[in-house]
Amino acid sequence: MAGKRTSTPYLDLKRRQMLKFAGASAAIGGFGLCSGLASASESTRPGDDAEDVLDVAIIGAGLAGLTAARDLHLAGNRSFLVLEARDRVGGRTLNFEVGDGHVSEVGGQWIGPGQTAVQDLARQLDVGTFPQFYEGRTVVMGGDGRLEYDLGGTFGTDMTIADKLSEMSHEVPSGAPWQSPKAAEWDRLSVGDWLATQNVQPEDQSGWDAALTLTGGVSVSKMGLLHYLSMINSADCDYEKLDSIKDSAQGTRLIGGSQILSSKMAGVLGDQVRLQCPVRRISGWDGEVVTLHTDQGRVRARKVIMAIHPALCNQIEYEPALPAARAALQRAWPAHSPARKIAMVYSRPFWREKGLNGHILMLDGPIIWAWDNSPPDGEIGIVNAFISNANLPSDHETARRTLMDIFARAWGDEALQPVAYHDQDWGRHDPWSLTCVSAIPPGFWSTHGEALHPPCGNLFWSGTETADIWAGYMDGAVRSGHQSALQVLNALRQA
Amino acid sequence: MKKLIVLGVVAGFVALLACYGRDALGLYRLMDHIATSSEAKEADSGSWPRLTDACIGCHGRQGHSLHQGYPSLAGQPAPYLASQLRRFASGERSNPNMGPLAMTLTEYEIQQLAGYFARQSAIGNGSFKPEAALVARGEQLAATAGCAACHGDNLMGHDQFPRLAGQGHDYLLAQLNAFAQGSRKDPGGVMSAIAATLSADDRRALAHYLAALAPAEN
Ligand SMILES: Cc1cc2nc3c(=O)[nH]c(=O)nc-3n(C[C@H](O)[C@H](O)[C@H](O)COP(=O)(O)OP(=O)(O)OC[C@H]3O[C@@H](n4cnc5c(N)ncnc54)[C@H](O)[C@@H]3O)c2cc1C
Ligand code: HEC
Ligand code: HEC
Repeated sequence: MAGKRTSTPYLDLKRRQMLKFAGASAAIGGFGLCSGLASASESTRPGDDAEDVLDVAIIGAGLAGLTAARDLHLAGNRSFLVLEARDRVGGRTLNFEVGDGHVSEVGGQWIGPGQTAVQDLARQLDVGTFPQFYEGRTVVMGGDGRLEYDLGGTFGTDMTIADKLSEMSHEVPSGAPWQSPKAAEWDRLSVGDWLATQNVQPEDQSGWDAALTLTGGVSVSKMGLLHYLSMINSADCDYEKLDSIKDSAQGTRLIGGSQILSSKMAGVLGDQVRLQCPVRRISGWDGEVVTLHTDQGRVRARKVIMAIHPALCNQIEYEPALPAARAALQRAWPAHSPARKIAMVYSRPFWREKGLNGHILMLDGPIIWAWDNSPPDGEIGIVNAFISNANLPSDHETARRTLMDIFARAWGDEALQPVAYHDQDWGRHDPWSLTCVSAIPPGFWSTHGEALHPPCGNLFWSGTETADIWAGYMDGAVRSGHQSALQVLNALRQA
Repeated sequence: MKKLIVLGVVAGFVALLACYGRDALGLYRLMDHIATSSEAKEADSGSWPRLTDACIGCHGRQGHSLHQGYPSLAGQPAPYLASQLRRFASGERSNPNMGPLAMTLTEYEIQQLAGYFARQSAIGNGSFKPEAALVARGEQLAATAGCAACHGDNLMGHDQFPRLAGQGHDYLLAQLNAFAQGSRKDPGGVMSAIAATLSADDRRALAHYLAALAPAEN
């Protein structure tokens, strides 16, 4: 029940092919990543010999870890390994193979203006982009109510309030919010505390909660104002570039699905990416050579790039214990952003013929936001939606029916004939993501900010959460990967 | 969304009739839903912004989870809820989602949240599809083991003893397994001791029975 994620009544064969694909997603074109314990006994791979000391071990084959590995590789270094817990690369990006070469994204999917690091990477890897579809009328639903409305590629935000936030964000540096001159004042407040002073009308309130849940990972009452402003700062101090569709961080998609970036990078690295290899314990991080204890034995390296977020770092055992400030940061790092996302697949995007854009905004229902996630040519119709975890049954079939009925109320009875359905809650699927974005609460940066960046011995902290711009996004992941590769190359030079 | 709703309020229903024609009924109902639901929320959990809104995504509206893996909080005894939140914060009960969230709560917020969810009435686990044979076996086991001695009449819970009737199946099973394996420990150690005597099959049957059990009126 809980384990079933996909149903494709008409595409079962395709699905089986997809699962094979997902099992070794980086194997497109037979790149031959080594995976599984079976290959652990071959002692020819770098890092296998206990005496063999690598220059660098990278923990995590998400966008951050693979970007770092790619940079090391481009710099001519071959003495490194990427250790990945799962049987696939991509981390919080994952393609759902719909069939006939079409994909939808299970995790991160959009890029937007100012996200130049991920844009450059896509160009270098020959991955094209296309606009998120929004032309036409959005359906707003609540209770029995239903309204079609053309929002013109926005979420219809009250711009008087948004403009104030944009203005304030100038004073909060994206990469180090705790260094803001206003830190003492603003880090005490939640976004809700601040909005409470802005005379937000009852009609607008749930809109703010939904917007903050989607972008910040929690409703307004537990979202830190200082952190939220740092996110707007990333978006060039322009609220609309953060939280809208057209010309915004939800405006552009990657052809072939976002996971393709990671798959392509891993393809070049071959068996320097080791799958199904979770790191459980790290010892001697304060000495010359660090030992990583994995499910496939020990790996020793001079420098380690930790390309996983702090709450994941907290799942690893350290010997000796990490410095108190870093340990406290990891223990307090929020991991409560709901991350249940679905895809409903139709033979064509039938809503477009009715002038509808395939988007739904729903008040008090299981859907937070649904949007048209069809492939570039609109050859088939795909709807993705962020789901309120516990407000939709977990049973796969019941969930599918419930959503189908809502879509039929929104767009007509054609919605009752989907060809596939996919449902994944990242918080429950496996222990290797835990959450979506980091919902940094009030007070967090003032207490823990200084512990985010400084390396501990030979451990270098990476992953999107450490990025100086667009932390939390795919772009931030790429930036943090570049940054940590530079750091370890310099540290090796000094050693 | 926000803009258009403001527009609705300002322009008034009559003017909108002209713009929306046959969609007017849908619009009227939407406006009506917004008005009644914001009044209901105000009465139920105070003025916006609401702390409880940070919980409903994973625990359901008013603490009624429709998901077998995320526990319902509705109708749990306030002392139990408060002590679980404190134990998540201290790390005595470990969970990567709840730990850091509970650390952000003040004692006042803990009391507010515990009180709020305890006030909501428990409802049946409607989306669970029980298997009759497992339910029967679970019922028998619960009677022999005397679960009700601590968890109260009809397993509705009281004080530090949680309500079990109608809780999510996957959640119940995960907790029984966690007690049995020692990854969750209760302060007195009684639940751990009880779970340790239950076989994996027993735990499955009990979770099944409890999830299917309709909460009694209290
Ligand atoms: C549902 C959802 C929607 C999102 N939408 C967007 C979006 O539209 N746009 C956007 O820019 N961003 C989005 N994001 C965020 C984006 O996906 C992430 O910011 C980005 O992918 C993070 O990359 P990363 O490499 O830093 O971390 P991750 O992708 O988390 O990679 C970490 C890797 O480390 C592995 N790992 C963990 N622990 C261990 C261990 N102990 N040993 C070995 N390996 C380990 C994990 O398996 C994983 O592969 C979304 C995320 C989710 C979940
Ligand atoms: C991201 C999802 C998420 C959010 C948001 C969340 N919780 Fe939880 N909560 C969980 C999970 C998962 C568990 C089960 C933990 C376990 O398995 O031990 C849980 C368990 C609990 C429990 C223990 C229930 C029991 O029967 O023992 C309480 C109490 C609780 N949460 C309160 C809250 C409150 C109050 C909030 C809001 C401030 C909240 N939670 C928000 C995911 C969440
Ligand atoms: C001697 C008293 C006692 C008996 C008898 C008892 N329990 Fe418990 N149980 C507790 C206590 C106390 C807790 C709360 C533990 C904590 O605070 O972590 C608990 C918690 C639980 C939980 C976790 C619920 C939640 O919301 O997280 C489950 C499930 C459970 N009990 C099942 C059972 C079952 C099934 C039986 C009978 C086989 C049983 N208990 C018998 C005392 C008891």
